[in-house]
Amino acid sequence: MLKKAYDWIDERLNVTPLWRDVADHEVPAHVNPAIKMSAFVYCFGGLTFLVITTQILSGMFLAMYYTPDITNAWYSVKYITDEVLLGNVVRGMHFWGASLVIIMMFLHMLRVFFTGAYKAPRELNWVVGVLLFFVVLGFGFTGYLLPWDQKAYWATAVGSQLAGTVPWIGPYLQTLLLGSHTVGALTLTRFFAIHVFFLPAALLVLLALHFIMIRAQHIAGPL
Amino acid sequence: MAAGERIPGTPRYRHHLLKNPGTEPFLPNFLLKEWIAGSVFLLGFILWVVFNPMDVGPKANPDDTSFIPVPDWYFYFLYQILKYFPGNYEVFGTVVLPLVGALLLLFAPWLDVSKARHPYKRPLATASMVLVTFLCIWLTNEAAVQHRAEVAAEQGGGVSAGLPVLPKVPASQIHLVDTTMPGYEIFSHTCAGCHGASGEGGFGPPVYAIGKYWNEQQLYDFVIKGMGQMPPRGGLSSDAEVRKVVEWLAKQKG
Repeated sequence: MLKKAYDWIDERLNVTPLWRDVADHEVPAHVNPAIKMSAFVYCFGGLTFLVITTQILSGMFLAMYYTPDITNAWYSVKYITDEVLLGNVVRGMHFWGASLVIIMMFLHMLRVFFTGAYKAPRELNWVVGVLLFFVVLGFGFTGYLLPWDQKAYWATAVGSQLAGTVPWIGPYLQTLLLGSHTVGALTLTRFFAIHVFFLPAALLVLLALHFIMIRAQHIAGPL
Repeated sequence: MAAGERIPGTPRYRHHLLKNPGTEPFLPNFLLKEWIAGSVFLLGFILWVVFNPMDVGPKANPDDTSFIPVPDWYFYFLYQILKYFPGNYEVFGTVVLPLVGALLLLFAPWLDVSKARHPYKRPLATASMVLVTFLCIWLTNEAAVQHRAEVAAEQGGGVSAGLPVLPKVPASQIHLVDTTMPGYEIFSHTCAGCHGASGEGGFGPPVYAIGKYWNEQQLYDFVIKGMGQMPPRGGLSSDAEVRKVVEWLAKQKG
């Protein structure tokens, strides 16, 4: 039955080559920890992606309860933490996962750097990777404000003041960031929009480029 | 699992026909093994999350300027750099250094152009990255240590060592639990006079989440002795009453 359904779709859309291309892709021995244990350093990139996936999933569930306005944001986070079934675990995953993405990403970057994998012809993939790093830091900065607690408020207040010290464009940058002259209602909605719409879009595009390039150029050979 | 050993249920592939010996197909052979590593990683992550439950800090209050601001830990290295460029040199910490660092990282492939890939064969690149890594770790740690010292200096005034200090929050943000216990009844008649009806503090310090720091026995020993303005047994008539109150207090974990 399942086979028939698959054949029916395959006849019309010819999907087999799509997944066979991924399935038959040969994984070289020097990156396979099942062959050489020390190859585990090549897992850091994949684990970063795994944590990013859990971040996207836990974030989607948090968005079901979170309210991005200054009167309700804190109470909605409190409600998620104390009342919602498994809310504490989901929020915990998102909170600790944020740190874990940074750590795994940093380890992945060190591995790529020390194995010289960013050298020709893979320069562009390194650039995309560094851009991904900046996007993830952007996630951290905007996400920190969302619980609207004292920690969040004052960290963002100081962060925006720092943006204001940039020569010439400082004040404009600060207004762009805050949506106003001080951290308030507009800042929260702005950070929320950046955190759940702008940055995820950038993240997915960059990740796609990252993966397409690694397929096109293959993993760098053994040292 | 040894190289090329077949996981039962996965398709046989013809080793002798592979172009490059030692490789294996991505799906399902490689991914199934990788998934084991991924599962162990996820399990560790979930255990960490479950055993480190989240709590919510006090609600944002723009009027309370006494709060010591600090970014999340992964921005500590940037935050710490700022402290070394006070006054007119601030722009070095806020713009120049971070920008130079970001550009160096972004254009690393064009700065390290030798064909050699082994880290020992390009000592300058390797040494720079090792140095930057240690610098980041050191700056992060330094910022954490300094922040802890600032917070301790802020809260430390006049409180004896070992006594938990709870942040002051409005009573409306406190959620007491198990208020059907007899201990709560006694608390609200006596202790609440100084510590507030929700334990938010008043004449006495806040106690709304004291159970997070002290267990029942520690609370009991403390209340029996009393301290400063607090009379022995906290003004209660019997040790049994104290026992009932601390039994309830120990459950208040914020």
